[in-house]
Amino acid sequence: MSVLGVLIRKELHGTFTSPIGYTVAAVFLLVLGYTFSLTLFQTRTANLIYIFHQMYVLSILLVPVLTMRSLAEERRNDTLELLLTAPVREIWIVLAKFLANLVLVYGMYAGSLLYAAILGMYGEPDWGPIYSGYLALALHGSLLVAIGLLVSSLTENQVVAAALTLGIALMLWFADAAAYMLPPPFDSIVLNLSLIGHFRPMATGSVFLSDIGYFLTLSILALFLTTRWLRER
Amino acid sequence: MTAEAAVIARGLGKRYGATRALDDVSLDIRRGEVFCLLGPNGSGKTTFLRILAGYLAPSEGSISLSGHDVVRESLAARACLGYVPEAVPIYSHMRVREFLRFMGRLRGLQGPALEDAIARVVERLALQAVLDRPSRALSRGYRQRVAIAQALLHDPEVVILDEPTNGLDPRQIVEARLLIRALAGRHTVIMSSHILGEVEKTADRVAVFLGGRLRGVRETGGPEGLEPWFMSLA
Repeated sequence: MSVLGVLIRKELHGTFTSPIGYTVAAVFLLVLGYTFSLTLFQTRTANLIYIFHQMYVLSILLVPVLTMRSLAEERRNDTLELLLTAPVREIWIVLAKFLANLVLVYGMYAGSLLYAAILGMYGEPDWGPIYSGYLALALHGSLLVAIGLLVSSLTENQVVAAALTLGIALMLWFADAAAYMLPPPFDSIVLNLSLIGHFRPMATGSVFLSDIGYFLTLSILALFLTTRWLRER
Repeated sequence: MTAEAAVIARGLGKRYGATRALDDVSLDIRRGEVFCLLGPNGSGKTTFLRILAGYLAPSEGSISLSGHDVVRESLAARACLGYVPEAVPIYSHMRVREFLRFMGRLRGLQGPALEDAIARVVERLALQAVLDRPSRALSRGYRQRVAIAQALLHDPEVVILDEPTNGLDPRQIVEARLLIRALAGRHTVIMSSHILGEVEKTADRVAVFLGGRLRGVRETGGPEGLEPWFMSLA
């Protein structure tokens, strides 16, 4: 097994022996099931657009709780010293934590496939927006995990890590609102940072490369900065 | 002496803003010896060991381990060492056997070679009784032993022990001393301590650190002991 594989296995083992992952997943699916039922009975339309937006909000609230322990806990328990003095590249440590967190986040998202199946059985949904919605969620989840990892690498306090990640995600969410108050050219710069501005088109069926590029660029940037931060210790 | 040196430091320094944690340290550590860094808390011992282990980057100077520059050839240097930090960190969600397997795999051991290595260190550190016990349930003495075991899995040339007798009871201190002495020869052991008597009984040579500076290096032993020499430096 490669060193990356060894690290991913260790991260998954840590994730699935901790109550945090199960608690967050349970809350996520419980709230989602509740809101799915309400939305379906009220709108009587066979689409998941509302669900995607609810998953978007729930992810912003809950992913920071999953990622807060990633590097902060290693630093607090001094196990980071063990990892970083073993013959292991920093990028492998970061990627292992990123991928292990993504497994859990995507696992939570996969729970919502049941709703798509229900719509498929009892209605005639347009599958295009459903596929693009899941693409939007996958990219959204990876960006949140990457930001959470970056913040978790900066502190050994897990609560601080969660709060900061939530704060950054909320600021990105509301960036478009802030943009209207700024003069050119800052307004367009800040507008382009808007999380919801890049999520909404995909969640409603319109896939633009610029939106995909936004999520990928910011995710890679956050992972790069996390690796640099570990290397510059 | 340089040809025999396991560690060569030249003009090594570490700054945190305006604070100098380590200042212009130059020394050679011979292969196979037990070398001890002696000094009070905050004297720069741990900073030196962390730089040597590749955990911290030096602000100035150079340091090599087994012929590999610790900064430029970091992975090669780290492959040659086993490191036990002062806090003896162990993953609490793992059992001892799982922890040793994980650390062995990180160092490239697999299959029968890994299991053989685990059996070797378990026997050497007398860990049979706790091998399947959760790490979080270990006593301080056993934690120390498990931490040393992971550092020896890949039979490294250099073993770094930061304050290895901290928190141990008198019996465990004696056992730790005997273990360190047994490691000498096959391994170069670099340890830190702030207990003069312990250093005298364990190390072949000792370096005194004060205020981030290296104040002197000498052999242990001799009729007068280390105390007068240490007091003259302090």
